[in-house]
Amino acid sequence: EKADPQKTAFLLRKAWTLYSVTPLYGFRRARLRDYARLLGAFIAAEKQKGLAVEVGAELDIKVALSSLADIRGSELDQAALLVQLSSRSRGSSRSSEDKPVWWGWFCSVFGDELSESVPEHFTCLPLFLSHGAESYTALVGSWFQKTFDCCFRRLAISPLNLSWMVAMWAGCKLDRAASAVELVFSVPCLAQPLDISYAIHPEDAKVLWDTVQKTPGEITQEEVDVFMDSLYAHFHRHFKIHLSAAKLVKISTAIASAHCDGIVKILHSQYLPGVLMLLTELAISQIQ
Amino acid sequence: MDETVAEYIRRTVLKIPKDELKMMLQKWGFLSEAQLQTLNFHQIKDNISQEVVQLCEENSADIKQAAVLDIIYNHIYQNKRMWSVYQMKKSGEELEYFDITDFKKKFKRRLRSALKNVTITFKEYEDNAIWIRVAWGTPHKKPNQYKPSYVVYHSQTPYVFISSSVLKSTLPLLCQALIVASNYHDIREMELRSHSLNSLKDIVFKRYSQNFQTCSPKPLQGGNGEPENADTRIVEENRSEKERIHRLNQRAFGSGPQPKLEFAQYRLETMFKSDPKMDVLDKKEPFRCLVKFSSPHLLESLKSLAPAGMADAPLSPLLTCIPHKARNYFKIREKGGLYPESFVSP
Repeated sequence: EKADPQKTAFLLRKAWTLYSVTPLYGFRRARLRDYARLLGAFIAAEKQKGLAVEVGAELDIKVALSSLADIRGSELDQAALLVQLSSRSRGSSRSSEDKPVWWGWFCSVFGDELSESVPEHFTCLPLFLSHGAESYTALVGSWFQKTFDCCFRRLAISPLNLSWMVAMWAGCKLDRAASAVELVFSVPCLAQPLDISYAIHPEDAKVLWDTVQKTPGEITQEEVDVFMDSLYAHFHRHFKIHLSAAKLVKISTAIASAHCDGIVKILHSQYLPGVLMLLTELAISQIQ
Repeated sequence: MDETVAEYIRRTVLKIPKDELKMMLQKWGFLSEAQLQTLNFHQIKDNISQEVVQLCEENSADIKQAAVLDIIYNHIYQNKRMWSVYQMKKSGEELEYFDITDFKKKFKRRLRSALKNVTITFKEYEDNAIWIRVAWGTPHKKPNQYKPSYVVYHSQTPYVFISSSVLKSTLPLLCQALIVASNYHDIREMELRSHSLNSLKDIVFKRYSQNFQTCSPKPLQGGNGEPENADTRIVEENRSEKERIHRLNQRAFGSGPQPKLEFAQYRLETMFKSDPKMDVLDKKEPFRCLVKFSSPHLLESLKSLAPAGMADAPLSPLLTCIPHKARNYFKIREKGGLYPESFVSP
C-alpha cells in the first residue's frame, strides 16, 4: 500500500521518539472532534494549574485529531491516528495563523499478531511516535492513558535490532545519490569515553550485503550476523579494536536512521511502510 | 564612539562570565582602576555591559581597543575554538633574527594591499606566542567583527595555529600574509586539528613524553589504576597477560600524560578482506569507509582499550602514530595488496 506522499510528507526527516502503547479501550473513530476538544480542555486546565509547558501565557494550544487512512499494513490494521498541537496567540481566531508545535501519531503496520488477540472494544495501535516538547508528550500521553486505560512505554532499540535495521536498509536500492551507511558505537566504561563512527560508502555497503543475502526478499539472522561480523573484521584488521565488544548505539542509512534510545528518523517515503512494519513489530514485542 | 564599536564591546562583555569579568577588564587595561571601581559586578550582565560601554564611551574607545579585548577573551577561552596547524617552509637554512616590528609591518602591508577593509590586531604573550586577530571586510563593506580569524604564531618555530573565520575565502590571504611577513616561502596545512591549542603545541613542539623502546620489561606497579588484590588467596590468572599489555601500551604511548585531542579521522580505501570461511565480498576495488574516533581525551581513551579487553595489544600503529606523526586526519590505502599490515598513509 503506498501512502499518499503529500499527506505523509510531514513524517519524513523529523526525529520521532518511539513508544509502545497497549490497546485503547473504548476508542471510537467517529468521536475524533470530541476527543480533540476534551484533550484541548485538559491541556488548558493543566496549564492553569501551572503544571504545563514553558509556552508563554499568551499562547493557546489547539488540538487536532485526524486519521491517516493510508498508514496501515493490511485491512486488519487500524488506520493511523494523528494528534497535532498548534499554538495560536490569544486574540487571533484564524486557524491559518496556527503554528504547529507538537505531533504524535499512533499506528499499526501489519500488527495482526496483536489485533488478533484482543477482545472487543479494544483498538490496537501499538506504535506511538512523537515529535516536539517532552512536556506536551507527557500531557497528551496522560490524557490518553486516563481516557482509554492504556499504557505508554518508551521503546528502546537493542543493538541486535539496530543491526537488523542497518543490514536491511543498506541493501535497499536507491535511485539517486545516497548517504553513507553509518554505524555509531560507544565505549562508555573507560576512564575517558570513546565514540566510534564507522561510515561506509553506500554502494560498497550494498555490494557487501548483496553477497551475503542468499534469497532476495528474505533476511535471516545468520545473514545479518555475517554482514556485521565481516564489517567488524575489516575494522579489526586496521585498528585491532573489537567493535563487537562496543555498544552499537545508532545506525544511519539513506532510508532511515535509528538510535538505541528509541529515536527514529525516516528519510525516504518509498520505504515508510517497511520501516513502520519493523517498528510495529518491536512495539508489539514490548507489549507482550 | 562609533555605534558598531559600542555594540561589539557590549556583546563581547556579555560573553564573559561574571566572575572573570573584572580580571579581564584589568588585563585589557583600557579602563582605569578608578573606572573599574565604579562598576557594580553584582548586577545582571545586561546592566554591567551597559556600564562598561558607558565607560568606554568616556574614553573614546575605537575598534582597535575593542579588538584587543576580544583577543584577551579568546586567549583565555582558546579551547572553545577549533584550531588547525600549519607548517611554514624556508628555502634556505639561514636562521634570521626575528624582528617583531618588521613582522607586523609586513603582515599588515600584505593584507591591506589585497583587501582594503580589514582590522588587524596583535598581542604578544609570554611564551613567544604572537596572537593575531583579523576581521574581514570587502571592498565595499566594513570588516565583520563577529567572524574574525585568529592566528597564533610562535616566532621561534615554523608553526602557525589558525582558527579560521567561517569566511573560507580569507584563508589563502591569511597564509600569504604570514609567509611574507615571516620570511618563509611556503606554508602547508598539517592534518592536525583540535580544540586544545596547548595539546597541538605539545604535539608539534614534542613537549609530551614520547614512546620509546624499553629493553627490560618493567614490573607491574599498582600506580596505573590497577587495584592491588587485598585478598592474597585470589590469584590473577592472567597477570602475565596484563603485564604484557601494560608494557606494550607504555612502549606505544609513553608513560607520561597524553596530549589532549578530541578526535581522529581515517578515510579508508583498502581492500575488504575478512575470514575466508565467511564467504563474503572479495572485490578488486577498495572498500570505502570513513572512521572517526571521538572522545573528550582521545589518546588516553585509546590507551585504555587494550587493558579493558576491547582491543589487542599492541594497538594498531594507525592509532599510536598520531602524536609523533603530528596528525589526526589520515587517508589509508593498500600497499602491495598482499599484506594487510602494510598500509600507506599518503
